[in-house]
Amino acid sequence: MSAARPTLDSVTTINADGSRRFLHPADTRGRWTTARRMVAWVLIAIYVLLPWIPIGGFPAVFLDVAERRFHLFGWTIASQELWLLFFFITGLGFTLFFVTALLGRVWCGWACPQTVFLEYVFRTIERAIEGDAPARRRLDVAPWDNAKVLKRVAKHALFVLVSAFITHLLLAYFVSLPRLYAMITSAPTAHWGAFLFVVVASGLLYFNFAWFREQLCIVICPYGRLQSALIDDHSLVVGYDAKRGEPRRGTSGATDTGDCVDCLRCVQVCPTGIDIRQGLQLECLACTACIDACDDVMLRLKKPRGLIRYDSLTNFAGGRTRWIRPRTILYALLLAIGSAVTLAVFSNVKPVAFATMRMPGGAYFVDGDAVRNQLLVRLTNKTNAARRFTLSLVDAPAALQSTGTGESIEVAPMDEGLHTVIVRMPRAAYTGKFRFKIAVRDEAGGYTLEREAEFLGPDPKLLSEDYWREKPAQ
Amino acid sequence: MSSDPAQPQSFEDNLRPHSHDGIHEFDKRLPNWWLLTLYGAIAFAIAYWFVHYESNLVLPDGERVTREMQRIEAEKLTKLVAMLNDDNLWQMSQNPEFVSKGAETYKSTCASCHGNDLRGRDGDAKLVGVNLADTGWIHGGNPTQVFATVKNGVSGPGMPAWGPVLGDTRIAQVVAYVMNQHKRGEEIVAVVSPYAK
Repeated sequence: MSAARPTLDSVTTINADGSRRFLHPADTRGRWTTARRMVAWVLIAIYVLLPWIPIGGFPAVFLDVAERRFHLFGWTIASQELWLLFFFITGLGFTLFFVTALLGRVWCGWACPQTVFLEYVFRTIERAIEGDAPARRRLDVAPWDNAKVLKRVAKHALFVLVSAFITHLLLAYFVSLPRLYAMITSAPTAHWGAFLFVVVASGLLYFNFAWFREQLCIVICPYGRLQSALIDDHSLVVGYDAKRGEPRRGTSGATDTGDCVDCLRCVQVCPTGIDIRQGLQLECLACTACIDACDDVMLRLKKPRGLIRYDSLTNFAGGRTRWIRPRTILYALLLAIGSAVTLAVFSNVKPVAFATMRMPGGAYFVDGDAVRNQLLVRLTNKTNAARRFTLSLVDAPAALQSTGTGESIEVAPMDEGLHTVIVRMPRAAYTGKFRFKIAVRDEAGGYTLEREAEFLGPDPKLLSEDYWREKPAQ
Repeated sequence: MSSDPAQPQSFEDNLRPHSHDGIHEFDKRLPNWWLLTLYGAIAFAIAYWFVHYESNLVLPDGERVTREMQRIEAEKLTKLVAMLNDDNLWQMSQNPEFVSKGAETYKSTCASCHGNDLRGRDGDAKLVGVNLADTGWIHGGNPTQVFATVKNGVSGPGMPAWGPVLGDTRIAQVVAYVMNQHKRGEEIVAVVSPYAK
């Protein structure tokens, strides 16, 4: 592997015959390695702990698909509120645009679950069982003796276990831990859907982390493909200072060589198998491994660090990075607008959904002395506590009588209440159809919601012409 | 730019003949794992086509949906038949849980016409519903008859059909609540609707 030098013309991890070249990146140490490991452990801790932390009676994050309620840090979103996700997801998109334009692929190198789990869980296990990169490479070509079988079985068994753990925890985000425990302790036949999900997802994770690895980033991940559109020459990338490094040691005919000694450490530590000195490449996850590897060599050579470093292409070419530029301004503006709209819609969400409709049967009824409309009010309590509501009529003529209004209605948590409202207009006061409003007051919340309703009836002339008196009203 | 001088000679054999803005395309072998997914997809398509369209192993989708709907309907009907007899409904009317659930539904959907005391217009002249607490019944006073009245409604005076709104179970609970105010075997007097024209 160290004999082969990566080229810009082919993908290092795919051989000419289409077979896979399995990489064994060498270990790194240094400030970026340490910082990245700490970030990864914090992220893993967050992932593992969130379902265990109860806030307001529910896990901190509980996306209850079965009940169609989504609990986020004590705040519950009913499925009726899913349209809010539009703002949330576009907000995430704009954030990604903005961060990428400024800082490049920090997501890939520091926070993406693929990187975090691969580098800090699976490769850590691999390193512990099979040894460092040269040892792993030797093991790959070693004959299948007892020691190799033992190592491989142990490694893959642990991989399967960890994959299953990650998947179970993922399921816990959707069904909560008590339900997950109940499912684990009962037969798979009782919950085929969840069981199949866990088996398939664990299998995919195991395949991904045991074998597929960087192929996902290079071939499948769409975010990597977006980079060329989001990054420009002023974005931060991991790059090689060619002005300082070149001509590297060993270049034929060069008299005054640069700082690069062509030790290939940067290539050996690269998890996607590229040579960063060939410039910014699609495969680069900005994982910073080559920075630490090169800094280590530079320190030993008593030369300043930073031959490979976080910097912009402009800076590497001798210019100056412009942080404020049309692209970052535009992305920041989009992000600001998106955040403002999100904040506005999220803070205006009412804990109750309120709808009025005409009761099925007839648009209106005319009885002895009045015209009658029958309405049905549907109140959906979207919160985790019972709420009391009072209905009233607004902007209605004084003569309009109603039953079903005025009394206090209780709607159970997360439940829906139907309530009948009958409005009657004495014939004497009836002058044709009119509009009025039905208001619902949340007794604890102190706010009132209104819905427009229409009072329907016959042409008033029909009522005044003794039309009904011919037949006894009773 | 169509013939880039920097292009290494050794690669020219591998170049595809086309060139756009000086951008060439290498003719490289696809990753084997990628080819495997392609062949796998082809095999799956053939197997799927055979199983779903050429063999009788799996019913067509429409047929499966229809059968499942019929099964669900049959199950509902079975439940309804089991529920719908006077004995059962009288028994429900003595079950506190049924009665209290029925009372809740009654209060929210029925009381606006029939009153909280079930006496309707007899108890409060403002109300439009008929008295459900007395022995007079317009559409029959047996529990099954009351159930049918609630479920299907009475179009003339404005009693809505609650079937599609409440469903059989909640209607049975409401009937249980109403019948709880009556005794089995008490007199049933057929009366004429005050709304009859």
